[in-house]
Amino acid sequence: MAELRVELPSVVALLAPSEVCERIEAPGGATLFRVGPREVMVVGRADVSGIRAAVGEGPLIDDVSDGWAAFVIEGADAHEAFARLSELEPPARGWMQGTVAGAAARVLVEPRRITILVPAMLAAHVEDRIRVDGAEVLAP
Amino acid sequence: MSSLVFEGRAVPFQPGDTVASALYRDGLRTFSRSTKYHRRRGLYCGTGDCPNCLMTVDGLPAVHTCVTTCLEGMRVERSGGWPSAERDVLHVTDFLHRMMPVGFYYKTFIRPRFAWPVAERVIRRATGLGALPETTAAARHVVHHEHVEVLVIGGGIAGLEAARDAVSAGASSVLVCDEGRVGERVAPGPVLDRHRSLEAQVRALDAVTVLENVTALGVYEGLHVPLAGDGELVHVHPSNVIVATGAIEEHAVFPGNDLPGVMLGRAAAALGGVHGVRAGERAVVAVRTDEGLHHLRTLLASGVEVVASAVSSELAHRLPDRGLGEVVVGGEVHEAHGGSSLASVVLRREGWAKRFDCDLLVLSIGLTPRDGLARMALPGEGVTVVGDAAGARHVDACGDPGTVCLCEDVWMHDLEQAWDEGYRNTEILKRYTTTTMGPCQGAMCGGALSCFAASRGEDARRVADIPAPPALRTTARPPARPVTLETLAAGVHEIVDKRTSLHELHVAAGARLDRSGGWLRPLTFGDWREEYRAVRDRVSIMDVGTLGKFTLAGPDADELVDRLFPCRTDDLAPGRTRYVLTLDEAGYVMDDGLLARLGGGEWYLTTTSGAAGRSEARLRNFVDRLGLDVHVLDRTSQWGAINVAGPHARDLLGRLIDDAIDAGSVPYSGFADITVAGVRCRAIRSGFVGELAFELHHPRRRGPELWTALDEAGLAWGLRPHGLDALELLRLEKGHLYLGQDTLPDDTPVKLRMPWAVDMSKPWFVGKRALERMGALPLTRRHVGLEFDGGPADTAELRGEPLLVAGEMVGRVTSAERSPVLDRAIGLGWMRAVDGGFPDRLSTGSGASATVASTPFYDPEGGRMRG
Repeated sequence: MAELRVELPSVVALLAPSEVCERIEAPGGATLFRVGPREVMVVGRADVSGIRAAVGEGPLIDDVSDGWAAFVIEGADAHEAFARLSELEPPARGWMQGTVAGAAARVLVEPRRITILVPAMLAAHVEDRIRVDGAEVLAP
Repeated sequence: MSSLVFEGRAVPFQPGDTVASALYRDGLRTFSRSTKYHRRRGLYCGTGDCPNCLMTVDGLPAVHTCVTTCLEGMRVERSGGWPSAERDVLHVTDFLHRMMPVGFYYKTFIRPRFAWPVAERVIRRATGLGALPETTAAARHVVHHEHVEVLVIGGGIAGLEAARDAVSAGASSVLVCDEGRVGERVAPGPVLDRHRSLEAQVRALDAVTVLENVTALGVYEGLHVPLAGDGELVHVHPSNVIVATGAIEEHAVFPGNDLPGVMLGRAAAALGGVHGVRAGERAVVAVRTDEGLHHLRTLLASGVEVVASAVSSELAHRLPDRGLGEVVVGGEVHEAHGGSSLASVVLRREGWAKRFDCDLLVLSIGLTPRDGLARMALPGEGVTVVGDAAGARHVDACGDPGTVCLCEDVWMHDLEQAWDEGYRNTEILKRYTTTTMGPCQGAMCGGALSCFAASRGEDARRVADIPAPPALRTTARPPARPVTLETLAAGVHEIVDKRTSLHELHVAAGARLDRSGGWLRPLTFGDWREEYRAVRDRVSIMDVGTLGKFTLAGPDADELVDRLFPCRTDDLAPGRTRYVLTLDEAGYVMDDGLLARLGGGEWYLTTTSGAAGRSEARLRNFVDRLGLDVHVLDRTSQWGAINVAGPHARDLLGRLIDDAIDAGSVPYSGFADITVAGVRCRAIRSGFVGELAFELHHPRRRGPELWTALDEAGLAWGLRPHGLDALELLRLEKGHLYLGQDTLPDDTPVKLRMPWAVDMSKPWFVGKRALERMGALPLTRRHVGLEFDGGPADTAELRGEPLLVAGEMVGRVTSAERSPVLDRAIGLGWMRAVDGGFPDRLSTGSGASATVASTPFYDPEGGRMRG
């Protein structure tokens, strides 16, 4: 079985030249998603001022947490539940982006845990899909 | 004992029974009626390949009952025949072969013209495989994706060996068994023993996943193999596919070959060996395969009396010692006779023929590879075929009269006629005669069709010295097996509704919601006319969080907006906004919105609700194409927006803010960042509804508290929230367009009477060159405001009506409503030029008079919204 948790993630967007995106390092407790050549998402413990201090003036840096919702599926059947939502093939560990339950998503994969980040406007739909299609493998 | 319900009566079944075996034990011999001539059809293949046992099971038509396991209370009905399959009046068509030759529907009922629609209805009612259920809601299927190294399709001996060998080579594999459970329908004997041994080995391997009771629907480019199961659709994405689907026993063509009682060896063996049902009393057997010898022994063990055996010379020395009746070595079935079922069979050998009375004819004369899935794959895509599926197709002599295609009721004389009419290769013979186009998809008849085409081609070559056409197989296409529409649709047409952060509040307030631009939005909160009144007379709020919202920033952001939009942007001061059209390269209007200059090279852009997704792609596309250094941040999901509109909008906000929002501080076409009820907002003055209005753009998660604060504070002025229904009239009174509803795909700013939104003196903007070219041409169509007199009582019914001049259609009404403040019916529409001009007076399809009017209809000076 697996458990589903719905979380309000902390997300900072960094839009900057690719060389700036290359050198940015994940603050402690945060995960970097290089979602485009000139775009990085910092998920977890991150704040705008800290990142600005690291990259300097110029890049567009903003706290975009309001725009995202996170679904954490954790447990032995986490991958099984995810397979009902997307044709993406999860790596053993790492992240990927693509369509999950019909929504453009960013997915963080860890052993026994998958975190799905989707735009907040699609959160209700994605949560419904996870709970209905994963009913057999999710703890009630 | 358990029982199913067959055509209204209880039929008992035993554990492990299929529907067909239970019905056969109960005495049923006519399992269906053929589609065209309504001939009786009995149990034939026993492997789910032929169409003979198709019945309606629990409301689902075209179910192969020979591979469907019985369930308590299952409702089973035959689908063909009128008034019943047992006594079918339509069987009269069997005597009208000459009147219904192949392709007759291409040649008859052409004159008079009304004949074909009538004939088509009659033909459709007389044929088919049953009716789709009309009241049963489609069951939701779970869609599931599997990524594997090796997918083995087929749970027979070859499939089990392939799965085991894949693991030995270090690969994980999924084994698919589409005939129930592994080995379930194999008669006892050495073959089953081998099955059981291999199955035990495979099940002991962790790296093999065995999926049973699922059907591989096709092999798609990629590789991608969808598997249909009970309530689920599994998309398998394998690196390699091994097709081990085995072979089916060959369908022989001879007169009477479709009589009930004529049966392939596997069906007879499964009845006797698996289900304990004697397939007949007196049997004639025709055996030319090793497998057939096993079936013969099973048949004898089940108590069937064999009166004659036609066997190949190769097998003659391996026959059982006794019980074979008259053995005819080298003999073959010449013809079968009977009425409602088989009565006798004539065997022949060169210079010899003899009739044998019997009620069962068992055929094991060859194997036809079940290789349809393998033939769907592209070359070099990692698909291999093993076992009997890789075997050579057995090609017997072709041309004997009899039924070639059991599904479509095509006879050998039909093929001959088609050949004589000029259809002279496999593919066009297939299209003209529909051979291989039925539920079996050529599994039974594909070999006979190819063989016929090849032999006739060879005849033609000999006679006329012309090249013989190649004996091609017909193209294999998915689905390989019958599949329900709900399975095909599973996960494909997913409606992904977007919701604003205020959705739950709207639901709690009793709003009527509908989809608009991909969002679930309130149409009304109860009385849309009262909501309209609130906007015009008092104050109202509307959830406009659905608008597309973007930040454009970076060194080249100024240049991007200057190039992207057709109006001037360089003269826009920080803190001010401008209405902008978005054009494509052809100069056509794609979208509109509001552009706000934030300062410091940063801009804020709103788009229509439905265009947010493609707007982001378009913005990024132009950044790349123009080589600009601009960052595009989509804030549509991040920010909500509430429009506070009405004469008391400023009064209401005044209760909740400390900032100044007077006309001097936040003028019309201006914006300011303010704090409302503790929520930081960007307040944008807008004029879509034609009243004093502030759009409050705010962080999404704070939306509910902001809405609630406004709603509660607004009670002092009689606030009512409004939805899309009220907005429809509010914006119509202002003459504002709904792009898509009021516009056509090739509308330009001039056609929309919006040349003021374009500055042709700019050196360049997207669509400028196209507008220049079109500007030299006469205007042939334009958008108009309309005032109506007469017509339907409900003015909204005018929407979509044609606009007429002297009875000729010249345009269409795109929006219409009765305006309470104007006390007249108004609308928008488009019209084309008539004799080089645009007439002022028109009529509508329902007889209303329409006069072209200038817009805005309401407050044309704009004093109310500029307040």
